[in-house]
Amino acid sequence: MAGRDSVLITGCGIICAIGQDRKQVLESLLATRTGVGPLRYLKTGHTEFPVGEVKMSDAEMESSMGIAPGTPTTRTALMGMMAMREALDQAGLTAADLPRTGFVDGTTVGGMDKSERYYLDFIGNDSRNEYIGTHDCGSCSEMIADRFGRFRFITTISTACSSAANAIELAADMIRLGEADIVVAGGSECITKFHLNGFNSLMILDHGQCRPFDRDRAGLNLGEGAAYVVLESRESALRRGVKPIAQLSGYGNACDAFHQTASSPDGEGAYLAMMKALADAGLEPADIDYINAHGTGTPNNDLSESQAMRRVFGDCMPPVSSTKSLTGHTTSASGSIEAVICILALENGFTPVNYAFENTDEGLVVPNMKLEPDRPLRHVLCNSFGFGGNDSSLVISNVSEN
Amino acid sequence: MEEMILKLKQEIIEVLNLEDVQPDDINNDAPLFGEGLGLDSIDALELIVLMEKNYGIKLQDPAKGKEIFKSVNVMADYIQKNRTK
Amino acid sequence: MEKEFSYVILDSGRAVVNGRSLEHEQTGNAMLAELYRAHIGDWPKFFKMDTLSKAGFVASELLFKETGETRCGQDEFTAHRAVVLFGTTASLCADTNYQETISDRDNYYPSPALFVYTLPNIVTGEIAIRGHFRGETSFYVVERPDAAQMAFHIACAFDDDVTDSVLAGWVDSRRNDDFQTFFTLVERGALEGLEDRIRTIMNNLNI
Repeated sequence: MAGRDSVLITGCGIICAIGQDRKQVLESLLATRTGVGPLRYLKTGHTEFPVGEVKMSDAEMESSMGIAPGTPTTRTALMGMMAMREALDQAGLTAADLPRTGFVDGTTVGGMDKSERYYLDFIGNDSRNEYIGTHDCGSCSEMIADRFGRFRFITTISTACSSAANAIELAADMIRLGEADIVVAGGSECITKFHLNGFNSLMILDHGQCRPFDRDRAGLNLGEGAAYVVLESRESALRRGVKPIAQLSGYGNACDAFHQTASSPDGEGAYLAMMKALADAGLEPADIDYINAHGTGTPNNDLSESQAMRRVFGDCMPPVSSTKSLTGHTTSASGSIEAVICILALENGFTPVNYAFENTDEGLVVPNMKLEPDRPLRHVLCNSFGFGGNDSSLVISNVSEN
Repeated sequence: MEEMILKLKQEIIEVLNLEDVQPDDINNDAPLFGEGLGLDSIDALELIVLMEKNYGIKLQDPAKGKEIFKSVNVMADYIQKNRTK
Repeated sequence: MEKEFSYVILDSGRAVVNGRSLEHEQTGNAMLAELYRAHIGDWPKFFKMDTLSKAGFVASELLFKETGETRCGQDEFTAHRAVVLFGTTASLCADTNYQETISDRDNYYPSPALFVYTLPNIVTGEIAIRGHFRGETSFYVVERPDAAQMAFHIACAFDDDVTDSVLAGWVDSRRNDDFQTFFTLVERGALEGLEDRIRTIMNNLNI
C-alpha cells in the first residue's frame, strides 16, 4: 500500500446555500454570512422551517449546464453537475482524462424530489414515467457523470449524513491501494419533503436559525448542495504537472454501536473515528489547527461530539466550528461540502466562524466565534456522522506540510 | 381514571411494540424511561404522536415529554387535563 | 476451522443453520418472532425493528449461537469485527411502511419509529449495537446477487490491517413477511474458496 502522503487533492467544486462556486463560498465564509432563510424553492406545506437552499431553481441550473428543457433530471443531479464541473476544471481534467478517472458519489435520497412531485402521475397515468428511472441514488450519480464523459467506474455510497465523507474515504483507499490514479469523490443531495417530514417527525428541526453548540440549541436546519474533491496519486499529479491544493493525510470510520439515530453519550464512535484518522495521518492532536465539527445543532449530537472532541484533544483543543450554522445540514453532501470548506480555510489561512452562537453550555466545547484572518493552518479535521452510528473523520493538510 | 390508565397502558404497549409486556407489568408510578421498560428517544417521539393521534394533544417541545412521561399516572393525568378529543 | 464455514439461511418459510433445519410453526415475520423467542429472547428491541433488521438480527444471532460465541462484543476480538451486507431492495420495505403513515391527509401521523428504518444501513447498525462491533459497517445495494462481487467486498474489509472478522451476508425484504437472508462469518486468512462457498449457498436461496 502506498504511503500516507500519497493522496493529493488537485481540485474541488462546491455549491450550497452560501455560494454557487468556491469564490462565492469563500466570500460568505469570510463575511460569516448565513445562507439559512425562509423556504423558497421546495414546494411544501412546512414553510415554518428555515432552510439552507441553493439559491438557484432547477431551470437555472439546467440552463447553466446547457441541458435542454424537458430532459429528465433531478435537483440532486443538477447540483452535482455544477460542483463536478468546477472540480474537474480546477484539476485540469477534460473528457479525455475521464476513462482513467473514477467517480465515487455519496447520496442517500437521490431523485426523491421528482418522485414526490410526480408520484401521483406514476400511479395514476403514464405522463411522467421518464422520472421513475431517475429516482434511485445510482441514477443520480450516473446523470452527473454522463454530463462530462465516460468515467472509468462509478459507484454510489449511501450512509446517510456521512455518505460524502465515506465516498472520499473509499476513493482514497483505491488510490492508496493502486487501484486508481484519479478519483472524483464527494456527494450531492437536495432538500426534499422526505427530509423535512422525516426530520420533523424526529423533532430535531429548529424553528429558527440553528445554533450549534449553544446552550439553547433546538435542532438543525436542513440544507442542500453538492461538493466534490479530485483525489489524485502523487505520481499522477506529477505526471500531469498539476499543482495540488491540499492533501488528504488520513481518515477513519467507526461504528458508534449505540442507537439507530441517536449518538452515544460519550461519543465513542466519534472518538474512535477521530483517533483512527489521526493515527492514519501519523499526527498528534496538537498538530490539528482547526476542527470542522459535524455540529448539527441538535441537543444530542453537539453534546456527544463535544465529549468525543474533549476525549481526543483534552487541553489542546483547536478552534472548532460547525459551518452548518451557515449552510444548514446538507445531509449526504455535508462530508464533502465541509471538506471543501476546510480546503478553502487551509488555502486562505482562516478559521470559519460558528454562526449564531451566544450561550456557553456546560459540557460542550465553546466554538470559534471570531474569524481570524492570516492564521496559517497546517492540518484540519473534518467530522461527519450518520444515522446508523456511521461516523467518519478526515484529516486534510496544507500541501506544504508533508 | 382506572379505566383510562388501563387503556393508556394498552395503547403504549401497542404503539411501542412491547410484545412481551402485559398492562399489569407496568407499575403506575414507575418511570417509563430509564430503568424498567427500556424505552429510548424514538419511543418518546412515538408517545408524542400517540397523544396527538388519540387525544388531540399537540406537543411542540420534545423536552416537555420528560415531565409528562414520568409515569403512567402522570401521563394519564396530563391527558385528562389537556385532551381535545 | 469448522467455525469459518458456519452459515444461516432464513427466508419466509425456512430457517437453516449449517444445513440443519430449525423447527418452527409460523412463516414470515411471525416465524422471526418465533425464532427470537425460542433461541434469543433477551433483546426486546427486536419487536421494534423493521422486517429487514429483524431478519438480519435473527440470522446473525443464530449464527453466533452456532459458532459458540457466548456474548458478542464483550471481548476485544469482536470490537474489530466488520459487518458487510448486501441486498437489492435496500430499505424498500421500511420505506413502504413509512409511506403508509403519510399517505392519508386526514390521518397524517408520520411515524418516527418507522422513519428511522428508511435507510438500509440501519440493519448493520442494529447488529453492531447488539454485538458492540466498532468496525466497518456497510450495506451494498446491488443489482443482483453476485458471489464474486460479494467475496471481493468481504476481502476488501480486511485491507485495513485491523479487522479480524467480517460478519457477511445477504439480506433482502421487498415487503413484510417476505425476506431472504444468508449470513456467514469470515475470519482473516480464511478467504480461500469463499466465492464458491457463497455461490453454493446463495443458489440455495430463492432470490
